Amino acid sequence: MLRASSNAKGESFDLSLIVGKPGDGNIPHGALLVAFAEAVLGVDNERLADTRSRIRITMGDAALVDAAAIVATFNAIDRVADATGIQLEEARAQATADVRAALGINAFAESRGEPVPTFLNV
Amino acid sequence: MSISYTNAPVEVRDDIIAAHNRAWNRIARAGAWFDGKTRVAIAAETRHASKCALCSGRKEALSPYSIVGAHDGLGALPERLVEQVHRIVTDPGRLMRGWFDSLIARGTPDTEFVETVAVVATVVTIDTFCRAIGAPVHPLPTPKGGEPYHRRPKTAHQRGEAWVAMIHPKDLEGELDTEEERLLASYWAGVPVNIRRALSLVPEEAYEWFRLVEVQYLPGKAMRDFTNEYRAVTHAQIELIAGRVSVLNQCFY
Repeated sequence: MLRASSNAKGESFDLSLIVGKPGDGNIPHGALLVAFAEAVLGVDNERLADTRSRIRITMGDAALVDAAAIVATFNAIDRVADATGIQLEEARAQATADVRAALGINAFAESRGEPVPTFLNV
Repeated sequence: MSISYTNAPVEVRDDIIAAHNRAWNRIARAGAWFDGKTRVAIAAETRHASKCALCSGRKEALSPYSIVGAHDGLGALPERLVEQVHRIVTDPGRLMRGWFDSLIARGTPDTEFVETVAVVATVVTIDTFCRAIGAPVHPLPTPKGGEPYHRRPKTAHQRGEAWVAMIHPKDLEGELDTEEERLLASYWAGVPVNIRRALSLVPEEAYEWFRLVEVQYLPGKAMRDFTNEYRAVTHAQIELIAGRVSVLNQCFY
């Protein structure tokens, strides 16, 4: 979806931000939002308080609420996907095969002892 | 019981408050397969999982399935259910088909497995939201009376697309047996991706889970409408956060 957004806007977002590359990746406040997501999922409460505060100052309270809602959604929806063992739809997998390979995301399937679908082995 | 964000450090959108209240109250009610008392016990175990020594050891281990022992459970649920809840909470990226099969072999019906996933996900998402905005977590709801309605949708089938049986939209064409299937049919109105189908063995949970998701994230049409912004963060910012969280959770899907 991030790539779809990038393509639709005619902008070039750096997708490697999602695997921890530093910087904003051409997304406004990208580094701050990544730091916020990491802090919410982490255990360092001081770091979380700091990133929360910086979002309120630079982006506003409404942005903090909406960003929090996204972290909350995906922290749970990932568990729904993993616990039910749903497969990636073939069309979606093919459309994202290059990105998944480049970012090392295929390793997540391999760590579960599941073969990466052959159409993803690019 | 209603939950409130009155004392939260930031003002929370009304639709989020309403969705969280609806989801929280649903935990306390009897579902398709569990009564309210069991659903609240699953919610309590979800919160308790991070304190479990066995789960901590497994999380640190290269081979988590080689670590055996007893969970530090709260005592209200059978061990197989505690195992399901704790693993989903503490190490979701390394859940495996063999683990799912072992829980089924130990006596967990696939329907109960799915309903448990739904309750865990609800607690995780609302607790995560509270942590993210700096608000205390809500007290768990008090269980309500009532019995589970025990209706397995005949439309759910195992097609090898998931560990659990799921409903395919084509199965929802024509006459349907249950209110839950009819609800799902009108709600899907198209060909949903597997993540929307994941909980459909318990149709009410699939429907209710995505009602909550669409409030917290974006409704389906808004998700792909890149010409308009619907939140105080942009599509790109939303997807960046979503992508980073999923990588941290090692979620392949």
